[in-house]
Amino acid sequence: MATLTLPKHSFSSLLPSQTPRTPSSQSLSIVSKSSQSHFYGLKLSNSSSLPIPSSTPAKTSIVAKVSKGQVPPSFTLKDQDGKTVSLSKFKGKPVVVYFYPADETPGCTKQACAFRDSYEKFKKAGAEVVGISGDDSSSHKAFAKKYRLPFTLLSDEGNKVRKEWGVPSDLFGTLPGRETYVLDKKGVVQLVYNNQFQPEKHIDETLKLLQSL
Amino acid sequence: MAILSHHHNKYPLRSLQHVPTCHHQRRSHTRVTCSVTTTSTKPSSNPDQLIVEPGLDRLVSTPPPLVTPTSSPLLNDPSLQSTWSHRAWVATGCTTVMISLAKSMVAAANSHIWLEPMLAGYIGYILADLGSGVYHWGIDNYGDASTPIFGSQIEAFQGHHKWPWTITRRQFANNLHSLARVITFTVLPLDILCHDPTVQGLVGVCSGCIMFSQQFHAWAHGTKSKLPPPVVALQDAGVLVSRSQHGAHHRPPYNNNYCIVSGIWNEILDKHKVFEALEMVLFFKLGVRPRSWSEPNSDWIEETETHSQVTVH
Repeated sequence: MATLTLPKHSFSSLLPSQTPRTPSSQSLSIVSKSSQSHFYGLKLSNSSSLPIPSSTPAKTSIVAKVSKGQVPPSFTLKDQDGKTVSLSKFKGKPVVVYFYPADETPGCTKQACAFRDSYEKFKKAGAEVVGISGDDSSSHKAFAKKYRLPFTLLSDEGNKVRKEWGVPSDLFGTLPGRETYVLDKKGVVQLVYNNQFQPEKHIDETLKLLQSL
Repeated sequence: MAILSHHHNKYPLRSLQHVPTCHHQRRSHTRVTCSVTTTSTKPSSNPDQLIVEPGLDRLVSTPPPLVTPTSSPLLNDPSLQSTWSHRAWVATGCTTVMISLAKSMVAAANSHIWLEPMLAGYIGYILADLGSGVYHWGIDNYGDASTPIFGSQIEAFQGHHKWPWTITRRQFANNLHSLARVITFTVLPLDILCHDPTVQGLVGVCSGCIMFSQQFHAWAHGTKSKLPPPVVALQDAGVLVSRSQHGAHHRPPYNNNYCIVSGIWNEILDKHKVFEALEMVLFFKLGVRPRSWSEPNSDWIEETETHSQVTVH
């Protein structure tokens, strides 16, 4: 279940995407070319995520969705020690923001440990790693301690930031999605990678991108 | 499946060093059994065919008391031997299956159709494997001995993980009687009500495979040199679940190779992380964690010592 989004069209593209991302899609979700818009994008999408014909659809809703080339909405969340952390703190260096379903689940543990094991490579690239899930600070603290995670885990209670960034759910909305964003030094998204059941691939893809930045 | 437990912390991390001293007990009534000897009814392994009839078992047999696994069963333990009750249930189970198959064959002959019933039989064989995996996954991961209906099965499966070799010492009817009982109650109405050769073909083969899945399971725990050559041949051909495939289920992380009829579904289900996905859905929707997510405690880890004299430090 992996999708890689490409840049969106310009501002005139409040057009529906040609192949909207579906959670179960394995294919590249080809979205039309992007402008250099620095707004986190708005797109019209059908609520059932079917491709929308060019004629006006019967039902549309506007959803905010972070894509490549955009500046994501800022957030201020508590970390595993209860301290508030803002996204702006990381400006000036690349940052890997990875949304994961929950602490102490097999995939998330694999992913966290994979980030941990490659952390030196991320440091070498000058990047920070930040994990975000809906768990509270105490859960993050225990999770980080148990697996000796050297990076920040943020508590997105109520999954507010997840919704703001438009992280898609999997399995017909039953599972919070596993999606990673790489932001460059200017805070612009350069990669969006989604893969629920192959968590280690997030590390490979993000490192690949960081090395090219 | 109403076997969900909210005891997330029921199986905390524990070192083997903390296993209490176990001494060989003679003739103990507290010996663990791996078979289902109580009133649990095994639910449908094939959701399309078999229906759980909760509580019916209680009308027909008195369950022995549930026991807490304490020590390794002796090889000649009476709980491993077949009783006449066990044999009777296996006989009734076999009878209902044979009736189903016979009805299918007779109706097929009368209608001059063979392909559809045979295909249906094959589909029944395939579905039985899938059903065995789903049931096995559920029982291995959720609930405990106190879970209604399934409690004794869950306990038995945990005992099996701790002493997997016991199944090879269990006598035939002792091993199969619980499944045979469920098959009797579910297939008998179908025998009476259904006259279609294709449906009976599917029902007969599916229920037969489910009933004998415990035997296939026992063979999967056997050693090659001690198994009958035809069984080894069938295992090697992939017709029956292989020893190596099932052996992988008994090694950490204990979260794969759940199917025990032919094992044909194991690769697909494991490769596509179907059970992991189901576990995640159940976790997010109901808040229950499967046992396979936690480090197994001593009740789960296979006891390799025949004389369990583990000293507490």
